[in-house]
Amino acid sequence: MMPPTALVRRAAPVLACIGVLALWQVAALALKNDSFPTAVEAMRAIPAILGDKEALINIMASLRRMAIGFGVAVLVSIPLGLMMGRSRAVAAFFNPLLMVIYPVPKAALMPIIMLWLGVGDITKTLVIFLGVSLPVIYHSFEGAKAVEEKMLWSGAAMGLSAIQRMVRIVLPAALPEILTGCRTGLVLALITMITSEMIARQSGAGNILFNALDMGQYDTVFAMIIIVGAMGIGLDAIFERVRARLVRWSEPQFDMPLSFS
Amino acid sequence: MTEPVAIRKAASAIIEIDRVSQIFQTSARKDHLALSDISLTIDEGAFVSILGPSGCGKSTLLYIVGGFVSPTDGAAKMKGKTITGPGPDRGPVFQEFALFPWKTVLGNVMYGPRQQRVRASEAEAQSRGLIEMVGLKGYENFYPKELSGGMKQRVALARTLAYHPEVLLMDEPFGALDAHTRTRLQNDLLNIWERDRKTVLFVTHSVDEAVFLSDKVVMMSKSPGRIRQVIDVDLPRPRRRNELLLEPRYQKYVVDIERMFDESDEAGSTS
Repeated sequence: MMPPTALVRRAAPVLACIGVLALWQVAALALKNDSFPTAVEAMRAIPAILGDKEALINIMASLRRMAIGFGVAVLVSIPLGLMMGRSRAVAAFFNPLLMVIYPVPKAALMPIIMLWLGVGDITKTLVIFLGVSLPVIYHSFEGAKAVEEKMLWSGAAMGLSAIQRMVRIVLPAALPEILTGCRTGLVLALITMITSEMIARQSGAGNILFNALDMGQYDTVFAMIIIVGAMGIGLDAIFERVRARLVRWSEPQFDMPLSFS
Repeated sequence: MTEPVAIRKAASAIIEIDRVSQIFQTSARKDHLALSDISLTIDEGAFVSILGPSGCGKSTLLYIVGGFVSPTDGAAKMKGKTITGPGPDRGPVFQEFALFPWKTVLGNVMYGPRQQRVRASEAEAQSRGLIEMVGLKGYENFYPKELSGGMKQRVALARTLAYHPEVLLMDEPFGALDAHTRTRLQNDLLNIWERDRKTVLFVTHSVDEAVFLSDKVVMMSKSPGRIRQVIDVDLPRPRRRNELLLEPRYQKYVVDIERMFDESDEAGSTS
């Protein structure tokens, strides 16, 4: 039997979801607007989308691009961030470049990328890659910078080479910070995924959403928003589970996990 | 433990510090002379403390012997070979513990032996023995964050002893601990040291810690960091703290050293 406080904590996210849906329902009923279906109507449209083969293919294509963009970004950004964090020269070289790229909305680069690479998978995956890279680089950089010098010295005395120290001391020591960056990156991957499909409409979850909007199928629009939102929440929850396992050795900074896991 | 300790074979030098100077650039145009022309020989098997006020460069000197810092001038030698970098023949123990937080106690202690390709089963058996020796049996699977400061430093000591360095380099190892824990660790360190008599270079700013532990106390003064005096501590071993505190010769060493520091402070403030 769970103690009452734990029960409340467990139930809190579910209660929050119900609360949002209830507010939506009340607001939609009060406004009586054609373009604003009620929560119940929107949810009724979900099975139709998930049962449609075409729609599923679209959603899977979105997820594939997102996975590739996210995966490649993480593989490139973590080593880069770690090297920047440990080498003044590397940091001095990449910092100005990243400072210029950082505030530019990645979706704003899409027209140029489309011009060069077309409207296909490569363009969209590249935009996701760009969106994910920066937070992961930034957090890896901060994590590597904060690694205690004496810890590296201890490793050096044991005979670890510079590369071994990077992989076997800097990487694990910075892991909590790196994973914080990856979590932000994961959400950004979802955002850039949908945005890219809005701009280059051809396939994907964003494409279904905006086609439905064009055709005035508002229940489908809202149903897609719920589906995409649920995908985000689900991915984040899975990621948090993995993260908590990987860094259970680290000092907890926050007692309340900001997640659904 | 009744081994004869009074008679020792003629000691041979293991570490030679030869006219070492260290300059740190504090700002674009200002240099800080942290160490000035330090020469010192440390005999094999000796427990030597470097004692001085903060800012006298005593830790820097230790880092130079460790190979973590290269001297601006001069050289440090280990068994006749110039030190150019860190190596497993010189094992550091830092005030900050510097444990690997993602490894358990056992994982930390096994790290060095595993790096040196000792078989896992053998490394584990040795490490478990060391963990027991430093008084942490039962804590093998704890993570560093679950341990107190004193326990962390015990793990750090075991981790360093695990790869059998010839020289232990201890950088104010008990400086971050409360008085009680500190006293217990000093006692335990002496017990461990009396078993195998590794060479120890021990940096501290505590006069009684230096006298209690050492064969030789190297007194340093600051700005620039110089060796002021080297004092041989002629007190019998094995030393027990509760006996030693009542020993007039111990008290005299402490008082004399404190007086010398006071005099140099006064001389420094009037000049």
